[in-house]
Amino acid sequence: MKLLQNSGVPIYQQIAEQLRADILAGKLKEGEYLPSIRGLAKDLRISVITTMKAYEQLEAEGLVTAAQGKGFYVNAQDSEMLKEQHLRRVEEALAEAIRAARIAGMTGKELQEILRTLLDMQDEKES
Amino acid sequence: MSKKDVKTTKEIQFNDKTDRPGQTAQMWQKALQAWNLKKNFKGFQLSVPGLELPKGFATALIGENGAGKTTLLNILTGIRLDYKGEISYFGRQEKGIDASVQERIGYTGPGSYFLPQWTIRQVEEISGLLFDNFHKDRYRALCEELGIGGSGTDVSKQVKSLSDGNRMKLMLAAVLARDTSLLILDEPASPLDPLMRDRLCDMIRNYLDQGGGEKTVFFSTHNIADMESVTDYAIILEHGNIVEEGFVEELKEKYICVKGEAADAERAGEAMFSMHRSAYGFEGICLARNLERLAGMDITLETPTLSQIAVAVMKANTNLGKKA
Repeated sequence: MKLLQNSGVPIYQQIAEQLRADILAGKLKEGEYLPSIRGLAKDLRISVITTMKAYEQLEAEGLVTAAQGKGFYVNAQDSEMLKEQHLRRVEEALAEAIRAARIAGMTGKELQEILRTLLDMQDEKES
Repeated sequence: MSKKDVKTTKEIQFNDKTDRPGQTAQMWQKALQAWNLKKNFKGFQLSVPGLELPKGFATALIGENGAGKTTLLNILTGIRLDYKGEISYFGRQEKGIDASVQERIGYTGPGSYFLPQWTIRQVEEISGLLFDNFHKDRYRALCEELGIGGSGTDVSKQVKSLSDGNRMKLMLAAVLARDTSLLILDEPASPLDPLMRDRLCDMIRNYLDQGGGEKTVFFSTHNIADMESVTDYAIILEHGNIVEEGFVEELKEKYICVKGEAADAERAGEAMFSMHRSAYGFEGICLARNLERLAGMDITLETPTLSQIAVAVMKANTNLGKKA
């Protein structure tokens, strides 16, 4: 986790963003406990109230739940919501590719060719 | 349940083993509560109608020299007994400080409370005699870690021959070598160099982590910038009165740092909490609730540091008739 002191984005928000991404990407599994607020504060060398606020934000978003005697654990993520998240990311990435292709003067057909080639390469790697 | 007035704090249970009860039924856990503390000196009065330390967090007592920080801390640690008011520790019903409470409090002072002729070795022996919960091995490990112990250290060195910084390290080692629930540290960063101040912050975080929500730290400082990265709750003291307090994240939402153009300075000044202006523009703190009064101006907003908030609050309370 890289925290930027002067980016204008409050640190608790940066932490929440990083953890949210990890949760949605499945890196943090359902039922898995987040580090304790004081343990995380110690490791990141920030105040406890900051990690607490980050966790509270995730809890407000429904991503984690606070459990008596144990800390914060990751909620089951709605697979529909996850799929939608990924779908959005695919669309954004492709829109970016189209923009770059336009600038390079590529036709839609050429762009599709490239996509096809990359897909084939990926398939070969995986098989 | 009596509602605390003013405070910008949410009332939530803050234990690591936390159960979030939601928006209702919220109770702070308090390491310490005090009511109607008063102490008069010639030309100065400490007056604290209410004080609460949130358990499991590090609270900073911020104030200029002479604001009354040491007086307040001396009252809370039982060093000063001639005061009015009541204190309850660790959620106990009984008010006041007794031996069992003393055993759970660790204190470091602005000077050194070790007698000057004691040696480093004697500090260890005496601490062991004074406190049941003093761990010699921990003390030695801490001394070594802090650079005042270990092989090559002359334990027959007297306290008076140590530098201010090393005397503070000695106090910190002795206090952290005990099992305590509350650390009260009077200006712990002052005699330390920047590297060691950093280390002090790590030690405080470590203490809180070890406690898992059961250990609390209360330290005073006249320069909060050094300790900002470890401060959870801030109490600002000015002329013996608490003029502002709250959790840092909430204070940073209550006060906004605003920068703008010189042409707008006059109009902005009426809405701002504190301001500095020059030919190049103005800069200052504005209460979030007053931000709308700056609508239409060419301004940038930033989150203030705790240091900026403290300075603005202290300035506002120093001048008579300054608007809040």
